[in-house]
Amino acid sequence: MGGDQAPDEIVKGAAEASLGLKEAELILVGDAARIGRILPQVRHDGGRVRVHHAPSVIAMDEKPSEAIAAKPDSSIAVAAELVATGEGDALVSAGNTGACVLACARRWKLLPGVRRSALAAVYPTELRRGEKNDPFSLILDVGATIEAGADDLVAFALMGAAYAKIVSKNARPRVALLSNGTEAGKGPKAVVEAHALLLEATDINFIGNVEGLDIPRGVADVIVCSGYVGNVVVKMLEGVAETVVGLARYAYKEKLLWRAALMMLSSGIQRLKEVTDWEQYGGAPLLGFENLFIKAHGRSGARALSNAIRVADKALRSDLCGAIASGLESFQTRTGTRAVSPA
Amino acid sequence: MAVRATHVFRWDLDKTYLRTEFDTLGDLVRSAMETAQDKQAYPGATALLRSLRQSQEHRICIISGSPAQMRQVLAAKLALDGVEYDEFVLKNNLRNLARLRFRALRAQVPYKLPALLESRSGLLGTPPETLFGDDAEADAIIYCLYADILAGLVSMNELGRVLEAARAYEDQAERTLALAERVRRGDAVRRILIHLDRRSPTAGFRQFGPRLVPIFNYFQAALVLFEDRVLSAQQILFVAREMLTSSEHTIPTLANSLQDLLRRGRVSRACADGLTAEIQTAAAGAADDEGHRLAEGVAAAFADRIRQLGGATQEHPAENPRLDYVAMVDREFHHRRAKPRRPLRR
Repeated sequence: MGGDQAPDEIVKGAAEASLGLKEAELILVGDAARIGRILPQVRHDGGRVRVHHAPSVIAMDEKPSEAIAAKPDSSIAVAAELVATGEGDALVSAGNTGACVLACARRWKLLPGVRRSALAAVYPTELRRGEKNDPFSLILDVGATIEAGADDLVAFALMGAAYAKIVSKNARPRVALLSNGTEAGKGPKAVVEAHALLLEATDINFIGNVEGLDIPRGVADVIVCSGYVGNVVVKMLEGVAETVVGLARYAYKEKLLWRAALMMLSSGIQRLKEVTDWEQYGGAPLLGFENLFIKAHGRSGARALSNAIRVADKALRSDLCGAIASGLESFQTRTGTRAVSPA
Repeated sequence: MAVRATHVFRWDLDKTYLRTEFDTLGDLVRSAMETAQDKQAYPGATALLRSLRQSQEHRICIISGSPAQMRQVLAAKLALDGVEYDEFVLKNNLRNLARLRFRALRAQVPYKLPALLESRSGLLGTPPETLFGDDAEADAIIYCLYADILAGLVSMNELGRVLEAARAYEDQAERTLALAERVRRGDAVRRILIHLDRRSPTAGFRQFGPRLVPIFNYFQAALVLFEDRVLSAQQILFVAREMLTSSEHTIPTLANSLQDLLRRGRVSRACADGLTAEIQTAAAGAADDEGHRLAEGVAAAFADRIRQLGGATQEHPAENPRLDYVAMVDREFHHRRAKPRRPLRR
């Protein structure tokens, strides 16, 4: 029950999802009394929704490690535990990202062959992809693992490819490593080694290295990097987007001519907004665990949350974790490595 | 001749007992062409009706807005389901058409209210009643109005204005007023159960007070009737068993249904605990393995859901409020007229 608009919009999103997903059961973890006051206000299926009381919540601005330690009965901790014990199959949250990742990491097992999990993010691009003409590319890791070795980057690539294949219905997603040059030898040691491994020992559609400017162009469908780099990249992209909007607002106020020009462009801007509307995507996954976590944007409203739940449902039905595990197993067979224990 | 009953159960058919689509002309045609075998009851509805029928003194009355011309196929469907009934009233829309009464074709209040009152007039004494309807039409308003007329809470003057608001034809209004005047008074309607076919928000029904309970499925109806001491724990399991044969329900969805009623304050914690204990006892004494597994699974899921709720339930007003039927019926009339028609589906 975390998120900027929690619990109202979260409950409403789950309620909406309960009507569309005929075989899913939704467990709302949070303040049962508050949830119980919101649910009756919206259309939902009472047989498909249950409430699991959790007395506390981790706020968006709390320090994750401290909050997780201080609040073992927080909604995210309880929800992660429910999934760990098999009561739930997947977890969806719009709450504090760090706390979500920590809660999962402390309770869930990593898949064989995965040393570190990866948090993904989606980014709208010029080029589209897959059966659904998806405008979003997947970037991982964006912060779950600060430093990643070559094996970790390969695992991220395999996980991202499996996810894009299943969720974006992209039969052969283009996977790339993010580096400071497109040449194979460019970048830090881990990236250079991962490049070689991805070329030699995997079946995925690895297209080599891409640079930062290739991300918005959509050259690759899955972009792989360490959590440190990924986090810097997505925050910079968000910053650029905010600056562009700020400049447009400035232009709108500053000159009548500029305002007129913006108004002439308004239908195009609206179309662009529709195409790149992140709410339609819902959320992005935390990959590498035996269980699935979909992280919805902190600002998620009911629609985004409902779509994040649909993504989780789709990934579960297609056995995303199983697909990732078999991809990793085949990589290990080729390279002769054995399953490694978590770092 | 007046009939004796210890409890009367009145059921609507379309969208209450039967899964019917009539939002478009195409739906109507399709529904009219369906055979008895094609028609589908909601999971648990048949088992619930059969449980209610287990007492010889219970009276089952079906009052539906379906055209009288469908009597044969509807009766055949009920026979196929093994549902016995005492009364079966359908709407004579052919007569409405012949008399060019187009308003009467879709009108609910001027048809259903006199039908309910007429049926009630034929009963000995003042037996309690439980009414089943849905959220597609005006069932909640009509049933509450009927309950309040029986309880003597609606004056003839007010009823006249309600019928005016419902745009009843003059003879319909006269007949309804005459029936209302002579019906024996008594606070007879114990419970009104509204099946949420459209999944309408339950909060919208709070205005009708604690007597009316919106339900998502027939397991919830059975649970409410257990609280009302109409059904036993064994009968709850009978309904559960039928629901579990449909692909729509599992033991968790049944347990969620109980939790939903607890959250909404429509079933008490004491009742839920009591039922769980009774089902546990039933599991121990089950005649077969399947019965044992079912009862054990249901009891465990119930206990889980009650615990998971952490004691959070909603307060519900204890008294049934006085309702402004004139305004409600008038709103319903305008809402029905304004309702946009969906295009014909292929």
